[in-house]
Amino acid sequence: MKKRISLILVIFIFLQSISLVSCNEKLNKYSAYSFDYFDTVTTVTGYEKSKEEFDSVSSEILSELEKYHRNFNIYTRYEGLNNLCTINELSDGRHRTVEVDGSIINMLLFAKDMYYKTNGKVNVASGSVLSIWHDFREEGKAIPPIDKLKEAAEHMNIEDMLIDAENCTVTLLDPKMKLDVGAIAKGYAVEMVAKKLEEEGKDGYVINVGGNVRTIGKRGDGKNWLVGIENPENNENDPYFAYLELSGDSLVTSGSYQRYYTVDGKRYHHIIDLETLYPGDDYLSVSIICQSSALGDALSTALFCMTLEEGLEMIESIPDAEAMWVTLEGEKITSSGFEKYTTER
Amino acid sequence: MNKQTEKAPIVSNGGRKIKNDIIFIIFLLLIVWCVGLIYALSRADGDTVIVTVNGEITGEYALSDDLTINIESGEGQYNVLVIKDGFAGVEKASCPDGICVAHKPISKDSESIVCLPNKVVVTVKKSEFNDSPDIIA
Repeated sequence: MKKRISLILVIFIFLQSISLVSCNEKLNKYSAYSFDYFDTVTTVTGYEKSKEEFDSVSSEILSELEKYHRNFNIYTRYEGLNNLCTINELSDGRHRTVEVDGSIINMLLFAKDMYYKTNGKVNVASGSVLSIWHDFREEGKAIPPIDKLKEAAEHMNIEDMLIDAENCTVTLLDPKMKLDVGAIAKGYAVEMVAKKLEEEGKDGYVINVGGNVRTIGKRGDGKNWLVGIENPENNENDPYFAYLELSGDSLVTSGSYQRYYTVDGKRYHHIIDLETLYPGDDYLSVSIICQSSALGDALSTALFCMTLEEGLEMIESIPDAEAMWVTLEGEKITSSGFEKYTTER
Repeated sequence: MNKQTEKAPIVSNGGRKIKNDIIFIIFLLLIVWCVGLIYALSRADGDTVIVTVNGEITGEYALSDDLTINIESGEGQYNVLVIKDGFAGVEKASCPDGICVAHKPISKDSESIVCLPNKVVVTVKKSEFNDSPDIIA
């Protein structure tokens, strides 16, 4: 009898220890949402053992994003801070040179580089045109008249934006020029924050700011992140346009269904083709996979406003960048290396 | 020395006691297995719809229930969330763009409906996430 009791005890201790070990190593998935940055929704996702551990990293991510949000803000000024809004407002007057933070200089240098790389499809000096669309979209009642847009388009020559990296100043030579970094700033900020976390050795997180997804390392359990590109249509057989495995990569999707307003039954979305001055209407969405979220952000906007041929030529010329186009008919077209990232669901 | 003297009675009692012990161990393992199975099954049933307003969780509902929830986001703004037949969708809303209403009803893990003007996020959280995506963008 004594033997039996001790045997049972041993079994119980054994089972107990198994369940204790598995409990200790069990990672939970946590998410945090914020509507405070870049005029969109931010989601931070991570696998951690406890909510406390997740909260400490996610709050660091959010407060870093906050800094970039304030610096890159074109709508709001903050006391004691020269941001893009300061530059835009001063560009109406005579004094047009503004001293700004180094992060703004670096972002604008990147933006200028992207202007040349995308043949002007991404132009941060196009605020005159984009602000009209922004105002009409907010109003939600009509679309901007073409004359107004054309007149504004006279004031978006990128060469009129001078960046003095040494003295940290930005000068807009054209008094009617305005900056709009909607196609760059989110992605750039996400990339900077992700880089900082990587340097600190904090991985196992995903930052998603309005469709700019940046994975930091692998998932907490050592596996790749599984990322689905949403099919906006209700299709049970095909819920995702693509199903991807990412680790340390960025996925940026520009989609006409993400932000739009409706006038007379027709949808007008937020990705403006700077050649036609109207929303680009060739695709439902364009997704980019590459390492840098900043590059992905710029490329997704650029490719959205290009023909398929132009876009393919551009994406194939950039190493380690892949793209998927979804046409209005729902047809998917991918660049040559896109399949490397796709996986079976 | 001690070991040997203790070992002796078991052998001398024949296989019966050992047999009983084995049966008992199998019985124990069965119980553990059953408990685990019941646990797993109950978890599989626990798919939830999580509602956040401006980042704060304001409600969690079972995806298996049929419910209509009025999500109030202050200053008279609202989104009407309908959970029906395992799908959650926004049926009506006060926001100007109506993007949340146009969004397809959601049912899969990590799927979400976002209403930017009202700062509302509706997400599905499945209890079993072995093969479901971490992020849907």
